[in-house]
Formats: sequence, C-alpha cells, structure tokens
Amino acid sequence: MDKLQFDKHTSAQYNAELEEARKNLMQMGGLVEQQVDDAVRALMEMDTSLAQRVIETDTTVNEMELDIDEECTRILARRHPAASDLRFIIAVSRAVTDLERMGDEAAKVARHTLELADTGSGPQGYVELRHIGVEVRHMVQHSLDAFARLDADSALDVMQQDKSVDLEYGTAIRSLITTMMEDPRSISRALNVMWSLRSLERIGDHARNIAESVIYLVKGKDVRHKKLEHVEAQVKRD
Amino acid sequence: MTLSNQYREQKADSVTTGTPSEPDQHAITDWSGTVGDALIDDPRMSTRNVNVFYADNQAIHDVSLDIGKNEVLAMIGPSGCGKSTFLRTLNRMNDSIDICRVEGDIVLDGDNIYDKHMDVVALRAKVGMVFQKPNPFPKSIYDNVAYGPRIHGLVSRRAELDEVVETALRKAGLWDEAKDRLDKPATGLSGGQQQRLCIARTIAISPEVILMDEPCSALDPIATARIEELIAELSENYTIAIVTHSMQQAARVSHRTAYFHLGKLIEVGATDKIFTSPDHKLTEDYITGRFG
Repeated sequence: MDKLQFDKHTSAQYNAELEEARKNLMQMGGLVEQQVDDAVRALMEMDTSLAQRVIETDTTVNEMELDIDEECTRILARRHPAASDLRFIIAVSRAVTDLERMGDEAAKVARHTLELADTGSGPQGYVELRHIGVEVRHMVQHSLDAFARLDADSALDVMQQDKSVDLEYGTAIRSLITTMMEDPRSISRALNVMWSLRSLERIGDHARNIAESVIYLVKGKDVRHKKLEHVEAQVKRD
Repeated sequence: MTLSNQYREQKADSVTTGTPSEPDQHAITDWSGTVGDALIDDPRMSTRNVNVFYADNQAIHDVSLDIGKNEVLAMIGPSGCGKSTFLRTLNRMNDSIDICRVEGDIVLDGDNIYDKHMDVVALRAKVGMVFQKPNPFPKSIYDNVAYGPRIHGLVSRRAELDEVVETALRKAGLWDEAKDRLDKPATGLSGGQQQRLCIARTIAISPEVILMDEPCSALDPIATARIEELIAELSENYTIAIVTHSMQQAARVSHRTAYFHLGKLIEVGATDKIFTSPDHKLTEDYITGRFG
C-alpha cells in the first residue's frame, strides 16, 4: 500500500475535518509530552511549583480529550469513514485515551513529588527515576512523531523501547525493596519513589499503545497483545 | 504549543501535503491481475476470463470471479467501471444489445450459459433479476407474482398457484401489506412495496441466483432498510449478486465485495476486509472518497 494521504478526498470539507482532528491530537500530544517532561524534572529537582503546574495542566488535557473524541464521533456519524480514514479515526480515538491516561500518570508523579518535598527526603532511588524518566520521555516523543509521520518502523522502535523500560523498572523496584529492608525508616519515601516509577512505567505502556495504534493505522494490522517478534514481522512485510 | 510540537507539525505537513492531483491519477498503470480471493471452492456460479465489447469498445477486461452458494456478493465501482455490464452478462441480459459481444466462460450448474444450446428463458428462470426502478407489470399484485410460475408452467392448479404467490410475497416481506388487495393494480403500491413485489416476482419461480442492479437507488431510507433486511433473509436460500452505488449498502448487506475500475476487476475480498484495510490503492481511494 502506498503512503497514506488524508488530504486527497473529493470533499475538501472532509479533508479539513480529518486535518483538524490530526492537528488537535498533535497539540494534545505536545501538551502531554510537556507534562511528562515537567513531571520528571520537578521530581528530579524537587521543584514544587513545577509539580503544581503539572497537576493543573491535567484539566486542560482532560478537556482536549473530550473535544477530540467529540470530533471523532462527529466524523463517524457524518462521513462514515472507511479503510484508512476509518483506521485513522479509530487510531486518533485510541491515542487520545492513552494521552489522557499519560496526563493522569504525570499528575500522579507530581503529587508524589509534593509529598517527597514535604518529607524533605534525600536522593535515594533517583538514579533509576532519572533513567526511566529519560527513556519514557523519548518513548512519548517518538510515539507521537510516528503518528505524525505515519511511520510504522518508528512505532516498532517505541515498542522495543518499552521492553527495556519494563526491564529497568523491575531492576529499580528490586533495588528499592532492598533499601526498604535495610532501612525501614526509608519505607515512606521509598514508596513515593516506587509509585512514581510505576507511573512512569505506565506512561511507557501508553506510549506503546499509541505505537500499536500507529501500526494499525498504517498497516491495517491489529498488533495489540502480540509478541514483539510477531509485530516486527507484520511491520517489515511489504 | 511546545517546540517539539511545532517541529512535529512541520514534519507532519511535509507528509500530508503532496503534489496536486494529476488528472490521470486513477489510471491503471501497474495492472498485474485481480487482488484477493476472486475464485472460491464450490461456487454457485463461476466466470472465467470474461471480456465484453460494445462494438469496438471493450467494457470488461478478462474478469474471472466466482459467486458462492448463499453468498451476497456486492459489486462496487465508479460509473462506467463495468459492474452493471458484468452483472448483466450473468443472465445474458446483454443479448438484447446488438453491438454487445461476450467472450469467456460463465458457468452455472456445469453449463456454460453462453453455449449456443442454452435456453435463455430457462436460464433467466434460474438467474432472476431485480432492476434499479421497480417495474411491476400493469396487472394486479397477484398476477405480477403469478406471471412467472404460469409462463414457466410450474403449477397446474389454482390452489398451488395461490400457495406459490403467498409464499413469494411472504418471503419478500410484502404479504401482510398486500394480502387484502391482491386483485388491485400493482402500480398502486408505493415504490418500496413495488420493489419488494418485483423481488417476490423473481423468487416465485425459485431461481438459484438473484441479480440486483442498484435495487434501492429509487427508494427512501426506510424502504431501503427493508430491502436490505430482505437481502439478508434471502441469502439463506439464494445466491445474490448486487450492484450498488452506495458503499454503505455494500458494507451492510454483502459477504464479499468486488471492486471494478475501468472494466477491470481490481480487488475481491471479504467485505469486512475491503472496508477496513483493502490491499489495492484504487480500492482504497474509491471507498474513502478520494476520487477527484
């Protein structure tokens, strides 16, 4: 199949509606990307005002989710999209849900940051957080890029990255458990770090979901719940 | 808008803003045969290498396609793509056009329907047809349905004929509305009722295959929904090939969909697949409304 083009419909109005949905999704993506970025930075630098801002941004993200979903519903009702147009609307609708959840997780990280700041904790466990934070930010960025460029290969890269985030997450949790066993006084702080890690790992999962939506959109193959090798074979075919 | 977002917008723009459409963008440049499953096991009707000419103009190019038992096959494509011409070859409706010439094999029950010994009247009893515009005879409702069984000599007694008429009208979903006015002129029925009467007339002679050439294009949405419902019910007993301009209709009623373009059969596949992820770009362009 040739490169997908969403601006070649006989109806210029239809082109405009799809373009609007795409633009709004990208705008929401940009906002969530920034939110994740800020959440990680606030945690690293114990910047409470930045953490506060991350929590406040969540309202805007939620509103955008509703607006884009409504737009998708309208297009479905009025245009009865088929083939790549249909896959596009489904992919946008799924991606919007994932972005909104990412926003929720970023806000959770920000809340844990505020709690950590309250207890005046030291930097234990932050190395792992920084590491995973960087990787997850890349995943979010790359998944949105893959959507914008309709690039299934980049989407596949994001799915591969998710595997390495999951591995690092496992390692970080084990190390935090060791810390808690060694020093029970650290449990409260370690739990906040752990929950933050958990949120970051979930953000990675949502980025992976967006990547799966991109593959569905571009290749017409539903690769959810499939092994990575299987997805790789689907993407590399033709 | 964040910086990375602006960057992404730029990149995305470079993807979606292609060169302006060329006038011949939908010409078939790389024809390498029909994509998908045109041939199936144990078909009801099969066509092989069918070419149709109107004088020197070739309207159908080398089409091979099977229609399965109890299957609803939808044929879609832009105007002039040959879908109606192809449909009409299936019961030799093109015979009445002097300049029309058909080549290739069209086989029903082991016989080539274009064989010179083929009885065309008997063929059309096996392969019935419903047209775009309801065309009841200027007779009573009863006589419209009874016409086929009478001329084909399918019944000998009035009681039998009554039963055939009732069964056909019931199958066509018209019995309740027509039972008290069977002797009234068929032309007094509404458009949707007339079309269902035409379907009753077709099934009264127990065909194997029913061809439908845009059967709902003259009907309102409610009448259309009733015909579509009827198509689903009829497919339990008959094989149906339907030509339609409404892609939503094709998506709703058919099991398989065939896409024609400039006289060629471009792609055939399960309707679910054709409408979610077709393999050929021309199919994709047509069903997503990218024809300019």
